[in-house]
Amino acid sequence: MKILVAEDDLLMLKMLEFRLKKDGHEIIVTNDGREAVGKLAEFQPDLVITDIMMPYLSGLEVVSAVKKMYPTGTPVIILSGMGQENVVLEAFQLGADDYITKPFSPNELSVRVRRFDASVVK
Amino acid sequence: MIRLQSQEIALVSIVIIMLGILFYMLLYMYFKTRHDGKHDKWRVITDELIHGAVFYDGEDDTAPMPSTETVNRLIGNEHFRALLTDAIVSAKKNMAGIASDNLKNLYIKLKLEKYALGSLKSRHWHVKAKAIQELTVMEIDEFVAQLYPFTNNKNELVRMEAQSALVQFNGFEGLRFLDIVTYPISDWQQIKLLQQLSQVPPVNIDLDAWLKSENSSVVVFALKLARNYHRFELHDEIFPCLDHEDSRVRLEAINFLSEIATDETSDQFISRFLGEEFKHQLAMIHAMQKIASEKDILFLLDLLNDENNEMKLSAARALAKMGHRGMSCLQEHVQSAGYPLNEMLLQIKGELAA
Repeated sequence: MKILVAEDDLLMLKMLEFRLKKDGHEIIVTNDGREAVGKLAEFQPDLVITDIMMPYLSGLEVVSAVKKMYPTGTPVIILSGMGQENVVLEAFQLGADDYITKPFSPNELSVRVRRFDASVVK
Repeated sequence: MIRLQSQEIALVSIVIIMLGILFYMLLYMYFKTRHDGKHDKWRVITDELIHGAVFYDGEDDTAPMPSTETVNRLIGNEHFRALLTDAIVSAKKNMAGIASDNLKNLYIKLKLEKYALGSLKSRHWHVKAKAIQELTVMEIDEFVAQLYPFTNNKNELVRMEAQSALVQFNGFEGLRFLDIVTYPISDWQQIKLLQQLSQVPPVNIDLDAWLKSENSSVVVFALKLARNYHRFELHDEIFPCLDHEDSRVRLEAINFLSEIATDETSDQFISRFLGEEFKHQLAMIHAMQKIASEKDILFLLDLLNDENNEMKLSAARALAKMGHRGMSCLQEHVQSAGYPLNEMLLQIKGELAA
């Protein structure tokens, strides 16, 4: 599965990349929202994982852009911090498909990503 | 002749200054490049170490627990240690489960807690606060007793970190710092502590001593705890707080009593009403919208003549919400009083119908 990961914490980004590559996915990473939106058309991901707080464009704006560009496909998983429930709700209203709250375990990430992988296989 | 010499001196001076600046810039660039290069190398080492720890699951040979040999050699370097510690703490904040446990094990294996404990003795408040936060994030709870004295530190940020650490490690038991704290606990810190406590199972702790504390902020916090955890049995013990010298305590007591009112509560409010400041009077009448009964009708009708429209509206709401008797008394009064009470009545009827 082709996954676009947007996260401004570089260490976190590397860990996400490492884990998802280990799970056999093709990964493209970016550490700001504007670049993430820019890469959507070029990379055509099967899944987008985005943090909420990012420079230039927020995760919510990334969700909007994904849903505008791919209205019927490309699910989005939001990475949110504790206490960001309102933002997560807003993301769902914009079309986000799932969310993971930090702190999270890498295994949880794999399982959640696999759910969307299965839907692609179907 | 003399003029020419001055020009020469000025020229030579400018050249010397420019050469000086150039030399300084070259030197700066040299050290910066060297520093950046070293920093990048260190970053690779710390990232690899953290990756290894995060993805180590004890079974998978492809992701073995990282060796710390190289790092042990560098750990004595203060700058490297700061970089590594920040990276581990940052990763720990984002990770849960086995990954989080592995990061804690890595932190302990590198004996980084020893340096954090050393920082607690620093003269600088920010170093202390950072060390407390670090030990809290890394869940190094065996040193929690050492953090206890910091809960009443003269520096607010050190205090806040230590208080949060105690609650993080010990839940409600960690609140024992309220016995000794003499400095005020800010509203923000109170919210933070309540948020931390909401993550642990509630325990029926003894609030009596804190309700009588000489530190007003401790009394306010105890009232918030009583309110949040529905400590109805404390009803009578809260009444003295209505006469507290600190207005924040009185306001919090009004708010608390409005939640657990008995027949006696509105009498307690009415007897203190005239001596209170406007904000508290309004809070009392606002509370009476929930707790007033027919015996309070005369008092509330009198408030309909108050000069302040907010007070009028609040008293009218209290009458209307009381039931049939309160509403008919209100309507009777409005007929003779006219504007603005007639408009307020329409609004209240609309609210009740909604």
